[in-house]
Amino acid sequence: MTAANGLRHRAEAEAGRLPPLLARADHLAGTVLLGDHGRRRAGMGDDFWQYRPVQPGDSRRSIDHRRSARGDQQFVREREWQIAQSVMLWVDRGASMRFASDDSLPSKADRARLLGLATAVLLVRGGERVGLTGTSLPPRRGRNQILRLAEMFSEDAEGDYAPPEHRAMIPHARALFISDFLGPMEEVEVALTKAADRGVRGVLLQVMDPSEEEFPFRGRTIFESVGGTVHHETLKAGELRQRYLDRLAARRDWLQRLSRATGWQMGLHLTNHSAQSALLWLWTALNRGA
Amino acid sequence: MMTTILGIGFTAPWLLLGLAALPVLWLLLRAVPPAPIRRMFPGVTLLLGLKDDETVTDRTPWWLLLMRILAVAAVIVGLAGPVLNPRSQAPGSGPVLVLLDASWAGATAWTRVTDLLDQQLAEAGRAGRPVAMVRLTQPEDPVFQTSTAWRSRLAGLQPQPWQPGPAQVTTVMAALDDLPAGTEIRWISDGIDYPGRADLTAAARDAGDLRIIQTMHETLAIWPAKFEDGVIRLGVVRALPGPERVVGVMAQGRDPSGTERLLAGGEAVFAEGETRAQVDLSLPAELRARITRFELQGQNSAGAVSLGDDGLRRREVALIAGRTGQEGLELLSPVHYLEQALEPTADILTGALLDILPANPDAIVLADVATLSPAEESALEEWVDHGGLLVRFAGPRLAASDVSRDAEDPLMPVRLRVGGRSVGGAMSWGSPKTLAPFKADSPFAGLEIPDDVRVTAQVMAQPDPTLADRVIASLSDGTPLVTRKALGDGQVVLFHVTANAEWSTLPLSGLFVEMLERLAVSTAGGMPAAEDLQGTVWAPQRVLDAFGTLEDAGTLPGVDGPALAADPLGPDLRPGLYQSGDRRLARNVMADGGTLTAATWPADVPVEGMGLVRERPLGGWLLGLALLLLAADVVATLALSGRLTSARARAPRAAAALALAVLMAGLAPGDARAQDPSADQTARDVMAADELVLAHVLTGNAEVDDIAQAGLRGLSDTLYFRTSVEPSQPMGVDLETDDLAFFPLLYWPITPDQPQPSAKAYAKLNDYLRSGGMIVFDTRDANIANFGSSSPNGRKLQQLAAPLDIPPLEPVPEDHVLTRTFYLLQDYPGRYNGRGIWVEAAPPDAEIAEGMPFRNLNDGVTPVIFGGNDWAAAWATDADGRPLLPVGRGFAGERQRELAHRFGVNLVMYVLTGNYKSDQVHVPALLDRLGQ
Repeated sequence: MTAANGLRHRAEAEAGRLPPLLARADHLAGTVLLGDHGRRRAGMGDDFWQYRPVQPGDSRRSIDHRRSARGDQQFVREREWQIAQSVMLWVDRGASMRFASDDSLPSKADRARLLGLATAVLLVRGGERVGLTGTSLPPRRGRNQILRLAEMFSEDAEGDYAPPEHRAMIPHARALFISDFLGPMEEVEVALTKAADRGVRGVLLQVMDPSEEEFPFRGRTIFESVGGTVHHETLKAGELRQRYLDRLAARRDWLQRLSRATGWQMGLHLTNHSAQSALLWLWTALNRGA
Repeated sequence: MMTTILGIGFTAPWLLLGLAALPVLWLLLRAVPPAPIRRMFPGVTLLLGLKDDETVTDRTPWWLLLMRILAVAAVIVGLAGPVLNPRSQAPGSGPVLVLLDASWAGATAWTRVTDLLDQQLAEAGRAGRPVAMVRLTQPEDPVFQTSTAWRSRLAGLQPQPWQPGPAQVTTVMAALDDLPAGTEIRWISDGIDYPGRADLTAAARDAGDLRIIQTMHETLAIWPAKFEDGVIRLGVVRALPGPERVVGVMAQGRDPSGTERLLAGGEAVFAEGETRAQVDLSLPAELRARITRFELQGQNSAGAVSLGDDGLRRREVALIAGRTGQEGLELLSPVHYLEQALEPTADILTGALLDILPANPDAIVLADVATLSPAEESALEEWVDHGGLLVRFAGPRLAASDVSRDAEDPLMPVRLRVGGRSVGGAMSWGSPKTLAPFKADSPFAGLEIPDDVRVTAQVMAQPDPTLADRVIASLSDGTPLVTRKALGDGQVVLFHVTANAEWSTLPLSGLFVEMLERLAVSTAGGMPAAEDLQGTVWAPQRVLDAFGTLEDAGTLPGVDGPALAADPLGPDLRPGLYQSGDRRLARNVMADGGTLTAATWPADVPVEGMGLVRERPLGGWLLGLALLLLAADVVATLALSGRLTSARARAPRAAAALALAVLMAGLAPGDARAQDPSADQTARDVMAADELVLAHVLTGNAEVDDIAQAGLRGLSDTLYFRTSVEPSQPMGVDLETDDLAFFPLLYWPITPDQPQPSAKAYAKLNDYLRSGGMIVFDTRDANIANFGSSSPNGRKLQQLAAPLDIPPLEPVPEDHVLTRTFYLLQDYPGRYNGRGIWVEAAPPDAEIAEGMPFRNLNDGVTPVIFGGNDWAAAWATDADGRPLLPVGRGFAGERQRELAHRFGVNLVMYVLTGNYKSDQVHVPALLDRLGQ
């Protein structure tokens, strides 16, 4: 009885978490107008492409009478060919993402999910197919996929630093990795090279907390990871600042080089900045590579 | 009991040994570094392997240690009970009798006296000695009680506004004889001598162990104000000659609104070694009459207050004689003796009665004036009714006239018999009559009648039932000489003889002046002598307390005139204001010419000053300091160990905001001072009232306000060029602060974000609308919502207009006056050409006038016009007269702008001329009449 109750309670709580995330993602996505990514050739699509004279074989229904009535010749209205892309998301669900240095800031995980889901909403509205890397949720289109994505995003992983999921990537698809990239670097390298091998291009978005960017600590401190697996003690935290920042810059530089080599784009987002600007950047970055 | 170290006493000195432990604490605290913080940080992977540069343990910094040591030291010293100025006097034993002068002279320093008493009582209480207290100004038998009982009554112990008199001294001396043996007497003296003090000193010295405690306060007193040579002369005295000293003298009184305020001030200068000083105040009569009291600055006693009474007022007396125009016969003039009698003490007015009445004199004397015109009579009656004093003198004209013959004239106290009588003359029996002594209830009671006053002729009163009550002076044979009756608040007095020496020798005697004085026709300056007040009883109105405050006299009994003038002050005769009939006298603490003498004491009596040094326990302060230090330590420790980081990140911002707020708070009043807002406002009002000014309501949106301003400027120019209306520069109106009354028209552009006016502003707007103002509301949205709530401007308009007093509305009908006040119009375009302009609805019974294309509409101007065509934008011109904003396209647009201007012209014409054009309905009737 209690077990069932507990499950029910947790399920309710989980379900309760979904709509706000969805609503916020929808709201955020609403701020971006869908850009045009037609194929620049006639085909299936909604947008007008050109009128062409009727050729044998055209169905009579396809004649555009409005245009044809202007002259003696009959015309067919052609639409621009629009195709759908597959986009695969990976949003870091590791414990290190569940961190916010201040109560007024959202946690990194919160922001990463929001951005991931908002991007997914935009992509689905644009007619693309969206899914997760790995086998759990292959790319599909439609509103239901958003719900499934939101559901998947709500789960947390166990480990402190989750490695990027790089299995079952569809060749020549697009990908979006959102993480703080503070975990082991080898995993990222493996994932990106594997993606590059398959012709998958995409975007890396590093989501950081402002305190991770500035290291505003002083005095005797024991630093612990969120999961509690790693810790480091120092007597004067202030003295460590410069060396920490150097290491951070080195890691970012390495990420940049790696993404350049594999044809990916890399962006940085701090949780105290607006989510909208990050979404805009993501959207243009995803479109740029198309 | 108390150990004293370095002038500071300690109640628990052994606790100070704890200070020795401080160095140990220093060493202990020094060795312990701050505890580490556990901090969650995902970036820890980047930190792995980083080594600290210094491996030495971080030590607590020396200043933090010092702060902690100081805090502990403060706690130790505070608990040891330090006391500043400890009293280490040996307490005596036996009962204590405290004698207090408790006169006005000590009132200024009375708080110090009560503090001293409190301390003395506390001391006596600690020693368990019974205490009795006796005030010399109001002695009672000494009752020995515990000091606690006396301390609770200390607040009620007040000085009295007089010095101890002989009666009081005797009472106290009697009480001193019955004192128990071994009594210690402490005499708290005010330092001023009075009769009997020396005897009392001797008696007290015999009765017990006498100690004098004397107020070390400078006692000053002021003499009653005298009015001499056109100035108010005030004397100030001090008890001890000393160095040169300047004392401020303030004249207090009521201003025209009845508020007590400082009317004038002066400075009395004591020369070195002098005990007297004098100050002259020269004040206009109006101001002088308002003065109620004079005070010495820095003194708080009844002696430093001089109350003003009638003596300061010069009464205004109007003299009107029946016979005028005879030059040269000065001594026969009916008013000559009156002038002589009144001149020293009153201001005399002469002139026509009706000219004088508006000046509202205190008294009017009619010397042998028989008949008055009805206008004069009614005016005079009204004046008497409102408290005027009318004094009439008889004479040949009155005797010959029919005034008050058959019926009593309202302005005569009695009816008169025909002709009067003449006694003691060549053709009559009897000898001239003398005056009978005045009766006790007469206002003249107590006046001495000179022997040589003779009356040879008089007018006779008809014997009426009321006559006996109205006679206030009569001749030796009982015939009335002076009669009086009350009329409203005032009174009418008739002297049955002439005001000159024709009928009697009364005007030649001093009695005449005194009688006038008693009737309050004139007032004598200064305090009258005792014999002048013989037979009068004075009721206290307001009395002074020892601190110089006037209090209501309550049920205090009246005082005999002579006693008021001469008796020393005491419980039965308090200083204050006394009234008898219409006269008011002030009895001040100091008599004119009185002096203050410093008290001297026998050499063997110890005299102490009132140098009161309070014991001040310091424990609380030290413990508080320790708490503060510990609080600072908390903050410092947090800061050192890095736990304040997030707060520090915000601190500069908060500090900047705080500094900004402080700066703003400092600047804002400065700005306000820099430009005097009321002067600014006045100049603006003058400008608005000077010429016709169109005005627009300031919305707070700079763009809209600028357009409105430019629009009204353009309209003003158009009016100037085309019509006889020549407005000056338009103004923006702030509904909260500006006066609306000057503007015939208010243009109110609606913005969705403008603030809602306050209730006060709405009251002003409603007044404006009711008194003929007009407001043109412009939603500036082409009225797309038809004033519904579907556009933000429409919604705002509904909100703004809801509290306004707006009549029923209708869309402008085709025959509205607005369509033809200057131009003939049917459209009212602005920048938009929308229909739907709403104005006050025509009355339902309006009918089409015969032969005219319009109805016979209501009078008056619609108070509001609602529209949305953004007229100001169409009217708007820049400083050179070029249109600011485009309207429409090409020629059609220019045509629309022209129509907008025409609408503006019509609008202003409509506001200024009202329904004048509607009067054409009457044209047929006029023509019809002209044709006849």
